[in-house]
Amino acid sequence: MANFRRFRPDDLNKLSKCNLDPLTETYELSFYLQYYAKWPSLFQVAEDENGNIIGYIMGKLESSPNVYKISEHYLPWHAHITAVTVAPEARRLGIGKLLTEQLEAAGDAGNAWFVDLFVRKTNHKAIKFYESMGYSIFRVVKEYYGDHSTDPTQNSEDAYDMRKPLKRDVKKEHIRDDGEKHEVDPTDVW
Amino acid sequence: MAYKNKYRYGPPALKNNVDMQLQSAFSDGNWSTVVRLAAKRFATFKDPYYEAIKVSAEAQQQGAAEKCAVLVHVDELVKSKKTPDIDTLDLYEWACQDFIGYEIDFAETFGPLRARWVKANASSPMAASCLQGCLEQWDLVSAQQIAATLDKTNANSADRRYMFWNITLTFLLSVSPQCTEASRKVYSLLTVRQLQKAADITENSDKLEKTDRGLLTEEEVCLYYRVLLSHGTKEEFLTRLRSPKLGAISQLRQGHKLLFCECLDALETWGEWDTIYELCRDALKLGLDGSTTPFFVCDLRIWKKALDEVQDVLKQFIELKDKATPMYKKNISLALLETTFGLPSTTINPNHENKALSPKVIQIGLFLDQYYERFAAFDDVKGYVAELGYEEAKTFLEDVLPKIPGENPTKAQQIIITALESRLRYTLTTCPQTLSPHPTVVEGTDQGKPFQCRVCTKFAKSPCEDCLKKLIVDAAEAYSQIATDKELLATIPKLDRDPRLDLALVMGNSLLKLSGLRPGLSNFAQSLWQDVQPDVLLQAVLLLDTQLKVTPNDNGLRLLLVQLYLLFGCASYAYQLWVPLEVKRTIQDALSPLFFDRISSISPGLFQGTKPLMEPLRAYYSQSLRDPSPVRIWDAFSSGSYTSILDMAEYDKKLRTSCTLVMTLVEERRATRYFGGKLDVDIDDHILAADIVEDTTLVHKTDYGSFPNLESSNGPPIQEFIRLGPGPSQYLDLLTYTPPKDYKPSKPADAAARDKAYTLESLTRINTSLTDFLHKPTTPTLLTTSETNYYTALSLLSALTLTAISLPKSEPSVPNIVSQTTQSLKTTLTTLRAGLMSPKSPVAVSTQQAISSLCDMPAFASVRDIAMAAKLSAGFVLSYHEKETARDKSGKSGLHKEVVAEMKALESAATKTLADAKAHVGVLKGVMNESGWLDRLLNVVLGEEDKEQDEVTEKVSQVVEGRGGAEEWAGKVVDSWREGVKGWGMVRFE
Repeated sequence: MANFRRFRPDDLNKLSKCNLDPLTETYELSFYLQYYAKWPSLFQVAEDENGNIIGYIMGKLESSPNVYKISEHYLPWHAHITAVTVAPEARRLGIGKLLTEQLEAAGDAGNAWFVDLFVRKTNHKAIKFYESMGYSIFRVVKEYYGDHSTDPTQNSEDAYDMRKPLKRDVKKEHIRDDGEKHEVDPTDVW
Repeated sequence: MAYKNKYRYGPPALKNNVDMQLQSAFSDGNWSTVVRLAAKRFATFKDPYYEAIKVSAEAQQQGAAEKCAVLVHVDELVKSKKTPDIDTLDLYEWACQDFIGYEIDFAETFGPLRARWVKANASSPMAASCLQGCLEQWDLVSAQQIAATLDKTNANSADRRYMFWNITLTFLLSVSPQCTEASRKVYSLLTVRQLQKAADITENSDKLEKTDRGLLTEEEVCLYYRVLLSHGTKEEFLTRLRSPKLGAISQLRQGHKLLFCECLDALETWGEWDTIYELCRDALKLGLDGSTTPFFVCDLRIWKKALDEVQDVLKQFIELKDKATPMYKKNISLALLETTFGLPSTTINPNHENKALSPKVIQIGLFLDQYYERFAAFDDVKGYVAELGYEEAKTFLEDVLPKIPGENPTKAQQIIITALESRLRYTLTTCPQTLSPHPTVVEGTDQGKPFQCRVCTKFAKSPCEDCLKKLIVDAAEAYSQIATDKELLATIPKLDRDPRLDLALVMGNSLLKLSGLRPGLSNFAQSLWQDVQPDVLLQAVLLLDTQLKVTPNDNGLRLLLVQLYLLFGCASYAYQLWVPLEVKRTIQDALSPLFFDRISSISPGLFQGTKPLMEPLRAYYSQSLRDPSPVRIWDAFSSGSYTSILDMAEYDKKLRTSCTLVMTLVEERRATRYFGGKLDVDIDDHILAADIVEDTTLVHKTDYGSFPNLESSNGPPIQEFIRLGPGPSQYLDLLTYTPPKDYKPSKPADAAARDKAYTLESLTRINTSLTDFLHKPTTPTLLTTSETNYYTALSLLSALTLTAISLPKSEPSVPNIVSQTTQSLKTTLTTLRAGLMSPKSPVAVSTQQAISSLCDMPAFASVRDIAMAAKLSAGFVLSYHEKETARDKSGKSGLHKEVVAEMKALESAATKTLADAKAHVGVLKGVMNESGWLDRLLNVVLGEEDKEQDEVTEKVSQVVEGRGGAEEWAGKVVDSWREGVKGWGMVRFE
């Protein structure tokens, strides 16, 4: 049913099962290729028997620029999940979990401190999923999204910045228990 | 090491020692002041940099001479062989940005200049920027030279990228058209040798340091194998694959899966099955002995390849199964199925006990026992069920499948099984084992039914029509049962998949087959409606459309309907269904042909909307192909992602020659012509068609992955039954040709001679191109009949025009070919006219006739195009004759009088055809404006109200809730036809 492997550009011609789903965003070519160019091991796909892509994860390894080092919001070397999606027909099989684990392994291989991601505050299903995988809320980014997924009368929505420590963070210095109490502005997020 | 491509955003910064006055004039873009000040500074300091500032500022001014002066300076720099100043180079490159790719070639100017500079300044941090600059212009020759210099200078650096930039670029050059044939072998050899050396260093050293010139990272190792695959020998590849450090298993042990996957691909191409088996077995064992995480390589692909002798391994994994995620559990279950189907039946059933309830049937049953409620259950088992023998399939469907939900199934479980069974039964109608050959000729008469169906025992064609009808009736009953059961309806949202969708797809697909629709029918049929039963085809569409209202988020169903509506001319409604799919940005290349292919010939009116129809596609290509280099290529270089570089270069090459790209240009240009619009530029000069030449093989990558496919692998998938296909043309571009305005030879005779030479050359090229195209054995499969007629007519017209213009007036007689060709074209036009509807016709247009015409608009488009091409060709020749006669009063110029006569006759025939084509649209418009269309259409689809329906129609009516339920649909279809005709009413026919 599924094979897991690194993304290759030809996969962009087989994205329909994932990207025709309204919950999955389609980006410009340069966006996908930037990730493939810079962090190929953090761009993984799951394909079905016929070569159709039924899930993928895109991530990156980075830190905040040095000029922000004195800022309390400075992010040390870490992996970031930019996008993870699974086609409707392949859901509830743990593909998202496997892809995320692969990215975490790549983060460990890249000596990152932690993996982080942003998720809409109202996306309870996704939050639960990440929590089950060991992620916790590190901070709340106020009005991070320019629209609201459930309330059309609002024109913004908060995001949770969720983190999971990697092997390098032996002392678990990069996570906290009361992340929900730490609010930041989108401008503080690099 | 970031190279700022500043020229896109503004001029480069001037050197720090330039005074403030000049600096600020330059940054303000005050070019006349810059020119004046720089000239002054140059006179004072004699520093050539000031002259470069002056020349670059002049290039920003309006005068042609000032603008081009910089080209002379660049040329001098190239010829001087001296090391240029890097800041001067930056300035000149910025000043020349509009000329690069046109008046000057980067690879012959700035590329070599940057390479020269790097050679003299190899340790400068700017050297890498020069490499980036060359890469962004895709000048591989200069980039390779720079990379080689950098590698030499940084041979012992801990930054390993220098070495691998050099190797990667040497390889890229060796496979690029930029490399001369003489150098290709040298570069190929060089790449292989460098990597072999590096591989040997890795194999022979205990621990590799960053400064060692061996292969260290996954990317470096994979680069080596990619190069070996391209330039090395198979033996070398296979030997290295098993080596202790660089072998695939050894790399897998280090957590590097990429090499393993790539090696499997290569081995599969070579048919090295033993090696594949060994690798897969060893890889699976790695998971068990703890060398990797247990399920790291448990992809179904690995299981499939290793299935023959890995039962022991599989058993151990089955013991671990509970610890696995659902995905791997399922892969293990599928591996078990694969193993059962892969082994000879004597091995799995040695005593030949109960052939019907065979181990294969049992294994499918066991699999479904766990997964029958899941979304993908049908796709998972379809291939295996299609492989079962007839008796096995019968037992499976009758005895095994119904028992899967247990003794007391819920209503939902029952209906899921019914939907699954319905789909599998449909699949089996496409399998040969359900039919037995049967003598088709009985008592000297061909019965047309060469099989006996083993399911219903009736004589049949393939597929068995009686079985298809029964499938529809059964599925419709199940569908109606759901529709009337509130409890079931309430349960559906909680299910993985709506069973109504599955049942509707079975009914829809069965109806499509019953209608007579066959793969490629629309390609060769003169009229689709002569070969299919319109009522049955329309029933399929009505039923599927009804289902879309129930499951609007099912993209597969939506795509199926988009194609079906295009097939029968409802383009505007197809567009309404297409828009919510939000096919945008990157996925357009693979998905847009599903709607846009041939759209201009189906419904040109769509191009008259408020937003340009093809704009998102054009914008995507303009953005993605803006630079000569692959998008984001420097990112891959700077990150040391060597395999990404190779893949991105390959992807870029394919994108530049994409069928969808050509479709975008062709459709838009064809629509522009329909409305008498002006084409901005010749297709040959179109910036997006820069990489497409005569012998380019276009890359076709349409993504049909989301189509619901119930067919078995014994026949073509459903999209083959319902789609149309492509075809470019350059011909009409020539006929709208006018000489460029800035070129006007002073003597009219010279101008006329040059024009004639250009015309003859272009016509020869087009004629040769079309003749070659039409004679290719594959061409008939790429075109519809009407397109073949169109291209044949163009080929004849180009030959005729060529002969007409090149034939001297003084020739005593005109070659027969002229009259023969003209006659042939006139006959074609007369035949085409006969197929058009005329307002003078005494008999009223029947509903069937009208629907048939509405569905055949692409064929009608070709009538209009052939006639228009004939008229333009004849007009072109006649106006050439008039121009020549007016220019040269001696009477020696101009064309042969017989040629002129033939051309006038052709023009007249074409004009008549165009007038008739226009009248045809008028008739259609009139017919569509008549009242009662809803009833007329519904009478075709569901039969007349007071008449008895056959069983299938009755069941379809039931699903769509009768005529009342179908009325809204009929309204949309009729409106869409009316809109299409309205669009044709705006098309120019003269």
